Amino acid sequence: MNTTSAILLIGVGTSGCEITRGVSRAFGENLRYILADTDARTGQAGGPFVLLGGNRLSGNGAGGDIVQARMATEESVGILDAHLEGVRLAVIATCLGGGTGGGATLEIVKRLQTRGIPSIVFATTPFVHEGETVQRAARGIMSMIEQEANSIFFLPLDKLVLPDDNMKVGMNNVVSTMASAITLFWRLVEKPGFIRLDIERLRHIVTGAGRGRFAVVTTRGEDRAQEAIDRLKRSELLSTASGAVRTIVCGVLAGDDLKLSELGIISEGVQTAFSRNAAFHLSTVNDEETFHDKLSVVTLMFESNENETKSKGEGGLTRNVKKVRNPLTIGPMNRGRFNNVESTIWHGQNLDEPTFIRENISLEF
Amino acid sequence: MSTNIYAALEIGTTRTVLAVGEGEVGGRLKVIGHTEIPSTNVRKSQILNIADATQSVKSVIQSAEEKLKGNAYSLNLCTAYLVVSGNHIDTIPFSGSTAIGGSKVSDEEINAVINASRNYPIPESRELLDVIDQDYVIDNLTGISAPKGMSGRILKLNTLHIIADKNRIEDAKTAAENARIEIEEPLLAVTSAAEVVLEEHEKKNGVLVLDLGGGSTGYSVYSDGYLVSAGVIGVGGDHITNDIAHAFQTTNAQAEALKVKEASASLSSLNDMSARVKIPSSNPLMDNRTISRRALNTVVNARVKELFKVIRDTLEERDLLVRMHSGIVLTGGGAKLNDLDEVAQQILGLNVRIGRPIHVDGLENEPESYAYAAVAGALLYAHRNADDSNFFSSFFGRIFK
Repeated sequence: MNTTSAILLIGVGTSGCEITRGVSRAFGENLRYILADTDARTGQAGGPFVLLGGNRLSGNGAGGDIVQARMATEESVGILDAHLEGVRLAVIATCLGGGTGGGATLEIVKRLQTRGIPSIVFATTPFVHEGETVQRAARGIMSMIEQEANSIFFLPLDKLVLPDDNMKVGMNNVVSTMASAITLFWRLVEKPGFIRLDIERLRHIVTGAGRGRFAVVTTRGEDRAQEAIDRLKRSELLSTASGAVRTIVCGVLAGDDLKLSELGIISEGVQTAFSRNAAFHLSTVNDEETFHDKLSVVTLMFESNENETKSKGEGGLTRNVKKVRNPLTIGPMNRGRFNNVESTIWHGQNLDEPTFIRENISLEF
Repeated sequence: MSTNIYAALEIGTTRTVLAVGEGEVGGRLKVIGHTEIPSTNVRKSQILNIADATQSVKSVIQSAEEKLKGNAYSLNLCTAYLVVSGNHIDTIPFSGSTAIGGSKVSDEEINAVINASRNYPIPESRELLDVIDQDYVIDNLTGISAPKGMSGRILKLNTLHIIADKNRIEDAKTAAENARIEIEEPLLAVTSAAEVVLEEHEKKNGVLVLDLGGGSTGYSVYSDGYLVSAGVIGVGGDHITNDIAHAFQTTNAQAEALKVKEASASLSSLNDMSARVKIPSSNPLMDNRTISRRALNTVVNARVKELFKVIRDTLEERDLLVRMHSGIVLTGGGAKLNDLDEVAQQILGLNVRIGRPIHVDGLENEPESYAYAAVAGALLYAHRNADDSNFFSSFFGRIFK
């Protein structure tokens, strides 16, 4: 493993660690990563492992309880510091819906903020058929992570796994999609092509980017650039959010046969399809060994919000602060007299917010 | 026989309370005075302004001293036990063990296992409030209360460590010290309350005590005679007030008055579905609105049901609910909410009673004595741990009767 890379991948929770191992397999030894979980068994499968909340949970996991995971991580998150030497950007892979994925991610992101390290979170959200309780828990923690992370990508599992996929194919699809997006950051830095995006510029772009969406398409053949654009336009993953696009990072990964004209088609096609007003960052990766005869386009889009403002977070980083959140979440405005104190979170819900609002109880005045 | 006098202070979310007790060593404790004033700038049991909290402590001390003066006590308070709550408090099960090598357990091995059970590594940001000894275990034999003389290979002692956020406790101590009160010891509100409201047979049969405070709700679970689990959930009566204020666009004072005087935790008690409630106001010209009683009770019911569900889920996760054969005991100021017991029974499926202090005298004529259970319990704790040397103890500079 490359322990000197300025980008660190952190797998959080059992599933987040599984995805991280998948990314590691896909990318090889140049990936710098650690695995963090409250369940000691996760570490047995190998890789650099950090046990979260060992004192509190004795390595038995958080039992699906986000609050337990948060408290356990809060007590032990300092042990991550030993792995943060020289890190300029952290990428987190996690799955929301269980306990550690949500609870621990929030505390880890906070820790990174205090260390002045911007974070990009890739988080899957639960399948619809996992039930409303799990969905609600995930939604609750999503809004909290979103407030702390510099940029975040929520990936609904329902859009990553097709209904007729068997379990193995489905999970492989999840891992490969996440791996394609996550490894882009390392590939851009380590194997630049025509157009280079260095780590400091990347860091600057994601520092205030907020919520994002992404899609990865891989094509072959003569019209591969145009086909990539057509498939991006149809991508379910790029239609998950409603906000306008403020920033686009477009990574083009190919072998030695990449043509400048193909870059022109992709640049024009992405901007025309998604936003001409967004700040557009095109970059290329030249990796003949991996992308021989293939063209892979990774498109990251960050949303803007009319009510969005910026503030200085701890560690001198700029991050998003939203005055108004999306309708799925209930903002601090509803916490009334509890605005100044730490929230009471239960299964991802903020109990300081009025119950009748969270439960959508209508009142007959 | 010497008489000791003790004080217990609680800087709560909605009120700051001081209680003073008197007792002969080996005799029953009598609460000789209790007083309270509304707290300022305390949220969810956390002090947000030390100066305001200091002023509250000063005021409550002055009020207590004046009240007691009227009862022929002339006191100058110097120290007090501090009753604390808040969701920064947590309990950690921890065990210590020692080898006894097949021989009989001696005092030396008991001391060794007690010492081992105190080795839980407390994080720097936390403060240890108490260590509760639960049961001894010899090999696979559990539930042993006196292991001396028993045979086996491994002796284990199960304990419960009660820990709290050091800074939150320090803030309360600072407020007290600024008011010239030295804190003798911080005590968890819900376990203090339990000591004064529970019968021994309830602890043996299994009982859940809920201390319903303004900013948080404490729970403690007893089974086989000892404390099995305890904790604090960061939801209290203030959340009900906040929900009402939000639903009906009232001030917090109006919402609090609606909660105390008009609201019910239950929807089943509502006979007239169209009944209206006037929003209390000091100036009727400014606010003469009425609201639907059904809507008011719906808001309160939703919050209370949710709180009890959180408690139910917490206990079910630890397989504790099935052990509560003596039901639930409700204490704390929040217990005065109308029909709260009915909803608790409905959600938790257990018998419910209101917990009034029964192991102390002096509160028999206090109609809301359950609201003083935590401070009364702290006084009882002090009394049980006192001996003759505490006569004219350091709790007070001067005691004249």
